[in-house]
Amino acid sequence: MRYTSGLEDSTRPTRMTPKRTTHSLALAALEAVETLPFEVPAPMSAPLQNVTQACFGLSYLVAFGLELARLRWPGAGVRYVGLAFGAAGLLAQSAFLAFHQPTPATPYGALLAVAWVLAVFYLYGTVHHAKQAWAVFVLPVVLGLIGLASTVADPTTASELAVPPWMAGDRFWGAVHGILLLLAAVGISVGFLASVMYLVQADRLRRKRNPLGGVKLLSLERLEAMNRRAVNAAFPLLTLGLLLGAVLLKQYHDIADNWFSVKVLGTVGLWVVFVVLLYLRYAAHVPGRRLAFLTIVAFGLVVVVLASAHPFAQAAVSAGSGGQP
Amino acid sequence: MNLRVVGCSYRTAPVEWREKLAFDGGKLPAATAELAARFGGEAVILSTCNRVELFVARPPGDRPFDAGLAAEFLAETHGVRADDVSPLLYDHADPAAVRHLFRVVASLDSLIVGEGQIAGQVRQAFDAARKLGTTGPLLNALFPAAVRVSRRVRTETGISQGHVSVSSVAVDYVRQVFDHFADKTVLVVGAGKMGRLTLKHLQELRPGRILVTNRSPEKAAEVAGWCGGTAVPWDGLDDALVSADIVLSTTGAPEPIMTRRRFEEKVLARRSTGTMVILDIAVPRDFDPRIHDGDRACLFNIDDLTRIREQTIAKRHRHLAPAEAIVEQEVRKFADDWNRRRSGPVIGQLTSEVDRLRDEIVAPLMAKLNGKLSPEERKHVEGAFRLFQNKLLHGPIAALQEASKDGQGGTFSEVIKKLFRLQ
Repeated sequence: MRYTSGLEDSTRPTRMTPKRTTHSLALAALEAVETLPFEVPAPMSAPLQNVTQACFGLSYLVAFGLELARLRWPGAGVRYVGLAFGAAGLLAQSAFLAFHQPTPATPYGALLAVAWVLAVFYLYGTVHHAKQAWAVFVLPVVLGLIGLASTVADPTTASELAVPPWMAGDRFWGAVHGILLLLAAVGISVGFLASVMYLVQADRLRRKRNPLGGVKLLSLERLEAMNRRAVNAAFPLLTLGLLLGAVLLKQYHDIADNWFSVKVLGTVGLWVVFVVLLYLRYAAHVPGRRLAFLTIVAFGLVVVVLASAHPFAQAAVSAGSGGQP
Repeated sequence: MNLRVVGCSYRTAPVEWREKLAFDGGKLPAATAELAARFGGEAVILSTCNRVELFVARPPGDRPFDAGLAAEFLAETHGVRADDVSPLLYDHADPAAVRHLFRVVASLDSLIVGEGQIAGQVRQAFDAARKLGTTGPLLNALFPAAVRVSRRVRTETGISQGHVSVSSVAVDYVRQVFDHFADKTVLVVGAGKMGRLTLKHLQELRPGRILVTNRSPEKAAEVAGWCGGTAVPWDGLDDALVSADIVLSTTGAPEPIMTRRRFEEKVLARRSTGTMVILDIAVPRDFDPRIHDGDRACLFNIDDLTRIREQTIAKRHRHLAPAEAIVEQEVRKFADDWNRRRSGPVIGQLTSEVDRLRDEIVAPLMAKLNGKLSPEERKHVEGAFRLFQNKLLHGPIAALQEASKDGQGGTFSEVIKKLFRLQ
């Protein structure tokens, strides 16, 4: 179930006013949920409406299995079948996101959205770098994010839907905040993948392994450039998204609990890691391996941030379960 | 088929004899034409640094070309004694000759198994002979088939995977670190012979700048002139290393020219750019091996490169059995195709002739019975004649096909032609 543009209805009591307490906000949110004009899904003729998370998850899993098999038995046939499964997975995930429209303001929606962008990245990379073991690195991350999404709260529960309208994308600055952070998360994910590949390649060089044997990877230089570009692009997005979020949080709910939520603290921690990362790269000129490790730490924080509930959702849950005011 | 291949290779003849018997560019066309003319058949000469082979196909029934004739031919062409040449030669006939060519072109008989040069050399030899008009139906079918076998062996097995020269392995390592080279600086330290070979490979990457340093400024200038680089003084080695991305070291120094301490203090501490690749192919080594960390500095010495080369060769040998199986399969296929091609026209002629005879009998019969037979009955009668013809011809055709497989197709074809009075 999803809510619709009925949120735009000026008569419903969901519009936030600045400086309201968490308790009153949560009550208002729950009230809003109850009065929301939920759209009853009409029977759709398209078969894609029946696509589930398992459909694309399994498609990616088969594609991953085939890519692993390709390491042992390289051949065009296995590659094309793997690509077909990957493309089918991406199509299914796109259909799923299009029909169910999980809001990226929720951990569930955010994880699936980042997984979708990385799935596009996987498919592009696998086609573009036919000889590289690209999918072997990207697909586990895609699968991990999808798996994590399935463990977080159901998007149709009250706590998820109680997200204030601006967080749901119905208000411009809320949407901008969400999109900026989502893009930053994608950038960090790409940086993470480049870092993992960099470490594997550097390890092969350190051990002086046969350059033409084993897993085929891009050169250190290319991977380092990929990581650098991803981090350089993600940092301003993260900074702007974070600042915007702070302004919105201050404006609407300046409650200490909100400022110390896992999501907010995690995002601030991520920003700090980024600053350190940029300093080490451009001022201290530390070796690529250390930068790669730090990017992996940043990605870990991204996963924590994505998987943790937004302060507003927490507030709604607290209110709904008789939590503290 | 009446096919022979006679020749010598690195397995049977020492290099001085291979050099004596080789057909250099200028000699090859005349020798091929002479070989074809003298033995009245098709001829191709394959001459490389590792082998000299004469492929001769003569009409069925003619005296086969053999090692004796080949020795005489080689002796006359190169001005040596036939008795000296004879012991160096091997001789393969018919399917064995096909097998030999397929093994050679697939690089199973090469000094370095899986090397890619031989397929091109075989193709060139065939092209040269075809231009001269010394090839015919058999060699025109055989050599393209051999090239296909080579392609199949390479794609279906890992026999040609990896590089087997130290220089190529060095470049493979460089490619693992760098993606583009237009903005890279190569520093050449020393001027050894092996260094020049590796530098040639590095030059193919089109680096932006080449610096050359040597204890002797004259030698540095000479190498710099040869490779289009810039000579830098030996005293400036540390500075040159700071700006270098790829270092190729080949000095003859008895002690390492770069200790770990010096490298860390004078080079690494001053570098702000990424990874440096050092190819130390000098013996004794020029760079302290402890410099290698796989991140800021990747150091590969001659032992590392040779180890990879040997690993690659060993790995290629593991693909020999499947490659030989492909060759065997292709030899059988070629022989079958060739024999079918030889017996096919006779079978066609025979069938047409008996069709004609049947029509000669059936047509008047049908004319006589005109109106007395229903269309259904007419079809039955015609079918009975056709069935009789098929049963009659089944024996001779099957016998001819079996004989073709055993290499006796020619004789059987002649017998059938005579028995059935075929033109």
